[in-house]
Amino acid sequence: MSQTDPHPTGGTASSTTAPVERPKKPRPSLFMAGGFVVLVALTIATGADWRYGVGFSITDIWDGLTRPNAPMRGLGEIDFAALTGARARDGFLETLLMALVSTISGALVALPLALFNSKLGAPNRVAYAAIKLFNNIIRSIPDLLWALLFVAAVGIGALPGMLALFFFSIGVVTKLTSDTIDGINHGPVEAARASGASHVQMLRTAVLPQVLPAYTSFSMYCFELNLRASAVLGFVGAGGIGSVIDFYRSHGQWDRVWGVVVGFLIVVIVVERISMALRRRLL
Amino acid sequence: MSRTRTQTASEARFERAVRPEKPFNWFRLIVTVAVVGGFLGAAVSVDARWDRLPDAPGELWNIARLMFTDLDLADLPQALESMWESVAIAWLGTMIAAVLSFPLAFLAAQNISGRGSVVVTRQLLNIPRAIPEIIFAVALIPIFGLGPLAGTIAIGLSSTGTIGKLSAEIIEGCDRGPVEAADAAGGSKAQRVRWAVIPQVMPEIIAFWLYRFEINIRASAVLGVVGAGGIGTMLQQNIEFRNWGTAGMALIVVVLVTILIDTISGAVRRRIIRGPKSGHDKIILDPEKVILARPSR
Repeated sequence: MSQTDPHPTGGTASSTTAPVERPKKPRPSLFMAGGFVVLVALTIATGADWRYGVGFSITDIWDGLTRPNAPMRGLGEIDFAALTGARARDGFLETLLMALVSTISGALVALPLALFNSKLGAPNRVAYAAIKLFNNIIRSIPDLLWALLFVAAVGIGALPGMLALFFFSIGVVTKLTSDTIDGINHGPVEAARASGASHVQMLRTAVLPQVLPAYTSFSMYCFELNLRASAVLGFVGAGGIGSVIDFYRSHGQWDRVWGVVVGFLIVVIVVERISMALRRRLL
Repeated sequence: MSRTRTQTASEARFERAVRPEKPFNWFRLIVTVAVVGGFLGAAVSVDARWDRLPDAPGELWNIARLMFTDLDLADLPQALESMWESVAIAWLGTMIAAVLSFPLAFLAAQNISGRGSVVVTRQLLNIPRAIPEIIFAVALIPIFGLGPLAGTIAIGLSSTGTIGKLSAEIIEGCDRGPVEAADAAGGSKAQRVRWAVIPQVMPEIIAFWLYRFEINIRASAVLGVVGAGGIGTMLQQNIEFRNWGTAGMALIVVVLVTILIDTISGAVRRRIIRGPKSGHDKIILDPEKVILARPSR
């Protein structure tokens, strides 16, 4: 309310506020309007019950959930005794070892790839483009698909699982680290070049020290991802705790499935807490 | 000649110069020993048939050769249709997660909700974050039957955790100014959230929904392995029965469609966060990096 307002405040409020006009709302931009239309159209097209849709319906979901079913019944009587059995213990150990081996080996390979995957670190444009393409392809293949391919190549067991996680780690760590290299301080790089360092020497003395903390942090993060991913590799025969879950599921023992899943949940959350505390110190 | 004299003098100085000794770094030694020891110990104790490892590159090359020399264009329509189903599952799952996580994010944000609500909601969001989609999918298949519905709900539930957590962090990072202005103008709590918080955080949250959609496409492409719809079934069956040509076509479609959607979605995210001007300013667009850059709780 301005000070020159002759009308008394309160009382006949409508008459005092009448001259003050609300500013007009700006029209939504073409981008927003278009985006909204695409969003609604995509949601309807994908959700509708037709040839190219999922057939999403709330009533179906409600019917499914209210109907008695084995998984939900198992959730009511979770069997934690399944965790103490030899089968689950071996499964957890295998998962942990697989994640450890594949993260360390994958991260090791990812470091030179990350250097070459950035404009600064690549020796020439051809190598840069080739590494970038290679990394994009690796990253677009999901972990379970790698596992399928390696099971076909070397048979079932922990080995194809580790190979799958190895490739998955390369993709993740390379991408995150090379993005960091793009953002580093160029001062040390120029200093190294001015003092006559070769390309490799420049990378070693000017780039590597700057990205090492971030790289270590990404590798630890990748270990968390691998741990989570290794719980599903068993569904295609690539070892780990997933094969235990798959075993109990195929026998319809949902109480045990949930017991193992809860144990897995605890392992993942504990590892994540530890890794986060370490990572916070690094960055 | 003075020039050579200075030269020899500097050379002599150079000869006398001693490189400073590198300080011995205990921490580095311990970490190196732990990593190398951990790797070797794990590699030895894991029950894997390492003797098959030397065959792996050859076998993989063999499979790749069989896949890409035996391609049949007749498989393309089926591959595209299955991939579309995967994209549909990912999209709808992301929408479900967006709807579920949006209110939860406000309940989990410290600057909006009370302590009790924050602690409880955060724990609730942690559970789906730790469980992979496939496990949700196998539990949902006996309930909803084989097919895309189980996969969609699996993606929706498991994404709710990540989206909720990151949205809560975005809300916590919002600017106090508008909130105080709304407070000063007499806005209620709900009005403060509606007019001061939501307009600020919406671009970032929507950008993260899109980013999660990109991740979910990778997840939904393999849901079919357990029978929850999408191109995974086609991949799994053709790899299992060694129909390498058809599997190769499916693989090519997965890779190309994933890269294509990543590119489109990345451009849209950039436009949402940066606004209409196309500047050359470098900002972090990878939300995963944002989480890693400021690890919290």
